Amino acid sequence: MNAWNSRPWRRLLALSLVLALAACQAPSPGNPPAAGGETPAVKTTNSGFACPEPQPRLPVTSTALNLFVWTEYIPADILECFGLVYGLQVNREEFSSNEELYAKLEAGAAGYDIVHPSDYIINVMIRAGLLQPLDMSQLPNLANIDPEYLKLYGDRAAYIAPYQVGSQAIIYDSERVPNPPQAWADLWRPEFARHMVFVDDSRIIIGMTLLSLGYSVNTTDAGQLAEAEAKLKELVPNVKLFDSDSPKTALIAGDADLGIVWNGEAFLAQREKPSLQYVFPREGAITFEDGFGIPKSAPHVDAANAWINYVLQPDVAWLLLQDYPYTLPNRAALEFARINHAELYQAYTDSPITNTPAATLLAGARVEDVGAALTQYDRIWTEVKGGQ
Amino acid sequence: MKTDALRRWLRIWGTREAYQGLLLVAPTLLWMTALLIIPLLLTVVISFGGRDANGDVVYGFSLANYLRLLDPLYVGILWRSVVLAFQTTVLVILVAFPIAYFVARAPAGRRNAYLFLILVPLWTNFVIRIYAWIMILRTQGVLNGVLGWAAGLIGLPFQPLDLYPSPGAVLVGMLYEFLPFMILPIFTSLEKIDESLFEAAADLGANAVRTFLRVTLPLALPGMVAGTILVFVPVMGSFIVSDILGGRNVVLVGNLIQRQFLDARDPAFGSAASIILMAMTLVVTIIYTRRFGFGEEIVRA
Repeated sequence: MNAWNSRPWRRLLALSLVLALAACQAPSPGNPPAAGGETPAVKTTNSGFACPEPQPRLPVTSTALNLFVWTEYIPADILECFGLVYGLQVNREEFSSNEELYAKLEAGAAGYDIVHPSDYIINVMIRAGLLQPLDMSQLPNLANIDPEYLKLYGDRAAYIAPYQVGSQAIIYDSERVPNPPQAWADLWRPEFARHMVFVDDSRIIIGMTLLSLGYSVNTTDAGQLAEAEAKLKELVPNVKLFDSDSPKTALIAGDADLGIVWNGEAFLAQREKPSLQYVFPREGAITFEDGFGIPKSAPHVDAANAWINYVLQPDVAWLLLQDYPYTLPNRAALEFARINHAELYQAYTDSPITNTPAATLLAGARVEDVGAALTQYDRIWTEVKGGQ
Repeated sequence: MKTDALRRWLRIWGTREAYQGLLLVAPTLLWMTALLIIPLLLTVVISFGGRDANGDVVYGFSLANYLRLLDPLYVGILWRSVVLAFQTTVLVILVAFPIAYFVARAPAGRRNAYLFLILVPLWTNFVIRIYAWIMILRTQGVLNGVLGWAAGLIGLPFQPLDLYPSPGAVLVGMLYEFLPFMILPIFTSLEKIDESLFEAAADLGANAVRTFLRVTLPLALPGMVAGTILVFVPVMGSFIVSDILGGRNVVLVGNLIQRQFLDARDPAFGSAASIILMAMTLVVTIIYTRRFGFGEEIVRA
């Protein structure tokens, strides 16, 4: 028996561990650090982030806010802070595809105050009368959005408060792909067979095939679609896997050497594996916009407006550069980051993955609703994947 | 007054046997009506409808969705699902039998420990266990790592095997997932075999192979039959294993249906496919049980 196993030693060790842990603990929200005079006490999240005061603070009588948003797309500190600064309960449900969001709302799900659609589903939701027009008088922080990027939203800006924009393009591992692809059409090169990971999105993959043929991503022309189908049939057996949840995993783990991903995913992948490069294909990238809308059935419109303002204010929105680095259309937030988080700002502006000019995005292809032709797209998708 | 009436009512209902039965079955009946029969009827109604430009259901009566399923593309997908379910079942029987045999013949004291070990993995969520297979099968995964290390030891060149994602990986995932559901019924059959039957077979001059073929196998059949139903039916409708281990490149009827309710926004076609899947499973099960029975002995046990 040695000294380590004797009881007093162990007790001392346990005690010191407990003390060390207690010392590490950040001040809890219940015990904010003492603040002087009239200034309100700073509220702090569990991760130690000091919540900015809402600017402006809207009068909110609701005691809850019900979010229905994308999985893994809103920084946890923002969610926690909003509840703290307005003193209300933030409830959150998540979806992992636009179609899931639409299916639920369309089926009559009520009670959501904020929904978070992107791309073509925004128009479908507006047309189906699911969203209420935004009350601009309540949303002064919309002025923080760069007018150039606002153009990407077009008429939809009446219903959707911009959150982020971005692109889908080609990513490749420069260490393992000596002759990198420069165009969508290059993905058909035989040397890439069984080395690719694609997002599992029929409209994106059929869309880029259409682009490689020189057609519109939203074509409803049966002849063009048939041509795309034949071409895509040659490519699908070369795709090692389809993954929309986390395509970066396969790239980082070396299961795939190139692929089609969103720019935010590419940026995070590059952080872990610097040899990964993102390239805008010659035929043009596929671009997207997303944002917050308020359903017609929203029970807490006042809290919803407060949420939109809060997410858009510079000292909050900069968190996106750190957690979900897509292209941030919020110029006030970028300015805030330039002054207060220089390194983060530099990484964002230096990277062609995140810092895409509005004009480039505007010139990209945008997936629109194709109405009844969607059945044809689905048929093609099932055919190319399942028709072996 | 009211309580008196209630008491009288309860007394009448509680004493007559027929009513007693009805009372006992009422919760199940409610449950099944609300969560099985009504949704099923809805599915049937929707399957005859159509889809508008937004992807919402348009009610009506048309056989278009069913006719669309006759397309060789969808027939092929249905056929692939049946073949995979069949392959999985055969493979599961082949792997489960020796394990069940081993457990059944083990000393009584250890049997429970073995059964416990078979059930322990089920404590972890099914999706997580399937994800774990990615770690094992991927290019730089556990299996390739071990093989590469072994090849290095004996000085062989090694090229990592391309195992994930693939249809083979889907089969492995299915096998892993459904193994316990075959082991347990076969074990129950085998455990009940009277030791003296083996002695009798030996006395009559049967060797080990003959004893196995003439005594063990026929007596284990009810277990295999029950296990087959437990495995075949869920495999037919599953889509998660093929999604995760097939790299979303293996389309089974389960995936087809799931897509209709999400990406394709065509619930009517998805409903028709669901009905056909149910009908097919029913037909296969009926034919199978006509031939082999339900594995009644297991059900009784």
